Amino acid sequence: YQVTASYREKSAVDEYNKAKNEFSAKATEDEMRLLRFQRKLDDEKGAGLLGLSLQATMEALLALGLHKQAEQLYRDFRVPDKRYWWLKLKSLAEKEEWEELEKF
Amino acid sequence: MAAHLSYGRVNLNILREAARKELREFLDKCAGSKAIVWDEYLTGPFGLIAQYSLLKEHEVEKMFTLKSGRLPAADVKNIIFFVRPRLELMDIIAENIISEDKMHSPRDFHILFVPRRSMLCEQRLKEQGVLASFINIEEYILDLIPYDGDLLSMEYESAFRECYLENDQTSLYHTAKGLMTLQALYGTIPQIYGKGECARHVANMMLRMKREFAGSQNQILPVFDTLLLLDRNVDLLTPLATQLTYEGLIDEVYGITNGYVKLPPEKFAQKKQGEASKDLPTEPKKLQLNSAEELYAEIRDKNFNAVGAALSKKAKIISAAFEERHNAKTVGEIKQFVSQLPHMQAARSSLANHTSIAELIKDITTSEAFFDNLTVEQEFMTGVETDKVNTYIEDSIAQKDPLIKILRLVSMQSVCNNGLKQKVFDYYRREILQTYGYEHILTLNNLEKAGLLKLQSNSRNNYPTIRKTLKLWMEDANEQNPNDISYVYSGYAPLSIRLTQVLARPGWRSIEEVLKMLPGPHFEERQQLPAGLHKKRQQGENRTTLVFFLGGVSYAEIAALRFLSQMEDSGMEYIIATTKLLNGTTWIKSLMDRPEAQTS
Repeated sequence: YQVTASYREKSAVDEYNKAKNEFSAKATEDEMRLLRFQRKLDDEKGAGLLGLSLQATMEALLALGLHKQAEQLYRDFRVPDKRYWWLKLKSLAEKEEWEELEKF
Repeated sequence: MAAHLSYGRVNLNILREAARKELREFLDKCAGSKAIVWDEYLTGPFGLIAQYSLLKEHEVEKMFTLKSGRLPAADVKNIIFFVRPRLELMDIIAENIISEDKMHSPRDFHILFVPRRSMLCEQRLKEQGVLASFINIEEYILDLIPYDGDLLSMEYESAFRECYLENDQTSLYHTAKGLMTLQALYGTIPQIYGKGECARHVANMMLRMKREFAGSQNQILPVFDTLLLLDRNVDLLTPLATQLTYEGLIDEVYGITNGYVKLPPEKFAQKKQGEASKDLPTEPKKLQLNSAEELYAEIRDKNFNAVGAALSKKAKIISAAFEERHNAKTVGEIKQFVSQLPHMQAARSSLANHTSIAELIKDITTSEAFFDNLTVEQEFMTGVETDKVNTYIEDSIAQKDPLIKILRLVSMQSVCNNGLKQKVFDYYRREILQTYGYEHILTLNNLEKAGLLKLQSNSRNNYPTIRKTLKLWMEDANEQNPNDISYVYSGYAPLSIRLTQVLARPGWRSIEEVLKMLPGPHFEERQQLPAGLHKKRQQGENRTTLVFFLGGVSYAEIAALRFLSQMEDSGMEYIIATTKLLNGTTWIKSLMDRPEAQTS
């Protein structure tokens, strides 16, 4: 499955490039990157991330306490600071990790 | 009956009667007792043509919803399928019939296609081996359905999507056919104006169809003086804005389908006198909304801020009327009072209903979220910072507000800026994909194709020119006692309705420049009337224009046209027709990819 899926996306990227649709080509590459990341974590930790949006993935990671991984996505995908901090604050507040919040 | 259809300038009951007659004729073709199997989508529109009582008179004893598997048991001679011509429905019908045959029941099958027969569907039935089981296969042409005394809709949900995304002009053919039916009943419309590609197509088809019937001349004195065909994509902005009329807000908040609205039941707990509600209190309260209800006709098109005052005024009148009973001394006076009671009680329950609805809506319109959203919309419409990333949109995405709300706002910004700068466009798109999921890339593409989102080209942003020439923004909109159509959006005058207004006076020649900036051609055609049918106009008699919105129209736009009809010096009455009644949300939804999969 993995092989065919990534093959299909690869060709999607090619098609978008052919159509000179730079934005969609880039977005599709990003999505492939995200899927690979999700699969890896699902295999390692059984996190159940596959198919979630980037935001929902980061949310799930924070809920699981995988802060480092969430941080990695935030940097790799150049998530705007405002959106990420908002998410992080919300997640910490929900889990009532006030100490962690203090450290901000 | 449908008295509300005959109040207006044009008696739309004639159209409804014609539709009922055809239905009766078909039902009588299938002699004996009948059961109707409904394509669920059709029940709403059909309800506006014929109630169950009419069907019952023609021996319809049972009604079912079309479902796969076996048909429910019914002791009837005929089974009639009322369906849209869709392949997937044919498969279900075939399944029904095949499982039926095994039981050896001698029943007659019929199909009524709405609004057209389709060769493809019949071919599909043939492939499934059931075509020969049908005795009658007919079509029931239901193009324009009368919704109110001045309103016709085709309720063709996908019309805009088909025309602008899929390049499928089927809906335009139905439109032209519907207009021909209308002309057969109400006389040839002498003047046709139009703006937009689709408008041009429809006009061409109408003229061609007329030539095909050249032998038989229509001898009816024309009811309509003018037909104005408008493409929705000429004015993409208006439906994106939040409607601020009473009816418009009911539609924005709860959604009106086929003239009915479903409301949360809590506010309607009290049972009305003498009218046992069949619904359980936990079920939504279903109300019919049309001009048959006196109070609703009065307040539906008001700006919501003027509804409270109107309701309290009405409340005073009603309680004063009830107080009258103390003044009734003689038997004759008491008798007169009693004879008015049913009317007064109806008025009182109608008042109670609308007070509850207004309270529900007020909770929303007074919320901070509603206010913030409206502020941003109005900034865009007046051209404030439309070429930058908007903080409110950014925050709404971060808080994962419903995607449709985001798409509505971003589209609005794009339309008001004649496209977004590359940087802004990419930023929004990335934010949306990262937050709501990559799959929405297809929806974004659709919006781009439909022109709702676009990249700013090198050409100048011409929205400010359009806004100024057509006076789309009025600083001093009067919500209580309006003197201009801009009251329907508390400041913004719908572009589509301004075009209609200018056409009536002083004419489109005065705005040639603006018309050229808007997409599609504008044109004028004349249809020759037979000698003797030229109307001799009485002094002061109003002219009647049929405005047809191809691709949908919002309730606020309808309100604006009704306002123009009522203006004393306008000299023009408007009847409104459309492919679909819509609001920003339902419209965007119709353009989304696999909208049924969207929950947010």
